[in-house]
Amino acid sequence: MTLTDVDPATPPVQRCGAAGGEIAYRRAGQGHPVLLLHSAGGANEWGPLQLGLAGVGDLVAPDHPGFGLSDDLPELHTVDDLVYHYLDLLDGLGLAQVDVVGVSFGGWVAAELAMHSPERVRRLVLGAAIGLRIPEAPIADLFLMNPPQLMRALFHDEALVTAALSAEPTTDQILATYRDLGALARFGWHPFLNDPKLERRLHRITAPTLVLAAGEDRLVPREHAQRFAERIPDARLVVVEDCGHALHGERPAEVTAAVVEHLGS
Amino acid sequence: MKVNFFHLMPYPYLPDDFDDVEKYPSPSLTFSNAHFDPAVGVDLYHRYLDELEYAESVGFDGIVVNEHHQSAYGTMPSPNIMAAALARRTSRATIMVLGNAIPLRGNPLRVAEEIAMLDHLTKGRLLSGFVRGIGWEHFGHSINPADSRSRFNEAHDLIKKAWTEPGPFSWYGEHYEYRYVNIWPRPLQQPHPPIAVPGAGSPETMRWVAENHYTYVSVYAPTRVVKTWFDGYRAAAADLGYVPEPEKIGMALPVFVGEDDASAHREARQYVEWLFHRGLRQGLEIVFPPGYMSPAAMKGLLKANLKAYPELSYEELLEHGYVVVGGPEQVRNRLGELRDELGFGQLMAMLTIGAMPAEMVRRNTEIFAKEVVPELKRAPATVPG
Repeated sequence: MTLTDVDPATPPVQRCGAAGGEIAYRRAGQGHPVLLLHSAGGANEWGPLQLGLAGVGDLVAPDHPGFGLSDDLPELHTVDDLVYHYLDLLDGLGLAQVDVVGVSFGGWVAAELAMHSPERVRRLVLGAAIGLRIPEAPIADLFLMNPPQLMRALFHDEALVTAALSAEPTTDQILATYRDLGALARFGWHPFLNDPKLERRLHRITAPTLVLAAGEDRLVPREHAQRFAERIPDARLVVVEDCGHALHGERPAEVTAAVVEHLGS
Repeated sequence: MKVNFFHLMPYPYLPDDFDDVEKYPSPSLTFSNAHFDPAVGVDLYHRYLDELEYAESVGFDGIVVNEHHQSAYGTMPSPNIMAAALARRTSRATIMVLGNAIPLRGNPLRVAEEIAMLDHLTKGRLLSGFVRGIGWEHFGHSINPADSRSRFNEAHDLIKKAWTEPGPFSWYGEHYEYRYVNIWPRPLQQPHPPIAVPGAGSPETMRWVAENHYTYVSVYAPTRVVKTWFDGYRAAAADLGYVPEPEKIGMALPVFVGEDDASAHREARQYVEWLFHRGLRQGLEIVFPPGYMSPAAMKGLLKANLKAYPELSYEELLEHGYVVVGGPEQVRNRLGELRDELGFGQLMAMLTIGAMPAEMVRRNTEIFAKEVVPELKRAPATVPG
């Protein structure tokens, strides 16, 4: 990405040292700090959700190791490693307590962070989160999907699928996507996008939690959001209707409003 | 030139509507094993082993088996079992296990043990190949493709040390930990059986194979691309200050020799199409799952801009050098050209192509041995300048 590609409103990329390399993050806004943990496809993104969060708080939006503009940090292998990575990041930024918003893969990291160190999390949002092992309602095997199949699994609105597939990707885009998915594989190939221990530890989360489910999620069955909402003590489930797994990619205004409302309540 | 007979042991009895690609995206991973008929399978295994044994009897230098999982494309989940079955029924040919997919192993020490046993059973006629395993096999065995290369490297280092250094010793690695490594038997060949590794253009693999002085083997690619692989391997060796012997460069290639050119094409076409259009029907997603390829290797692959196998017509497969078909004279000339252009000194001829029936394989093997092999052996392989 060059500077001319960046919306003038996009805050600059900052870099922060971590074990084995650096990670990239953007930071904007004032007020209570908010940590946004992105989905597998959501690295290096600055859109309505980020703008909305930066409007109500001090938003820190990092790219996970191996994703987007962050280095690989190849010694990290598990979501548990990412929990320690983010605790280090919060310590490094001097943030004692944050709101955490995690989407899909980022939701899994957010849940693990909140149950590991409940005192570090003031409010929690889990959007179309993965991470639970529910054998009777498994997450679809996105690794087996070709790009059209994946787009159809991510978006409910066929027009969005068509738009996403209309432009032939450049080599750099293909390589960037392959790298992001490779990082997802590193953390989530086996066990497949789940931590078998997650469910029985969710009771440790103390933050008031908004569990967002996409009404038409073709990747993550509804049972996952329901289970999160059941097992986290102070949680409520909100379903975003007519929306695919991409959540704020498909219904940015509605999703952003729900998240902002929860953080402000 | 060493000439070897390479068997994939495909399961040829696909359903009549297999050309429905929506219904059957691949013969691998998701193609139900309800289609495997044990009553047919049993005969197939014995027929295929007979074909390998026959190859030795007509003078092939080596007979080659390999490993694939959950697929009608190849039915040897354990190549070591096939090598064991061949060990005492043959006496001269090198038995080439090409190879064990070591990243897929939870316990690579078992591979070290089995290969050491096979080395004794074959009285030192064993070649031990190591492979990554295809992408779909990482789905099938729940092995993280992002760990595949580092698992490969570590398993290789462990196996080699287990073969060559007196035990017991301990091993503390990223993927494997052993407090006691002390395999019995040790291999017969010293310091260890020769090692071969197939490559598909990954620069890391070329470099690594060259560093270790192993045999580098290509498979299923157009001549222009194979040339870049072999040149890459030779360049890596040159960087390290040596020139690899031609026998350290192997080419795996489906070949059919008929009585004459016209009849050969008439006969072989449907089996070549079976192999590339059915056997190798596999989306990029299952071949190169995320993390399986390094960014450099992925970039090279995109740059090569290869068509998927099922999109290649029979004519293109011939023209671009994916297969060689013809009468004895045409095959001799074509293989000679390829050898001179690519500089390989080891040919892994795949003479059982797709669903080719037993009688035809026998004839192919016979004519190839009689009419083609002597000429290949006569002219020395030259290293292209």
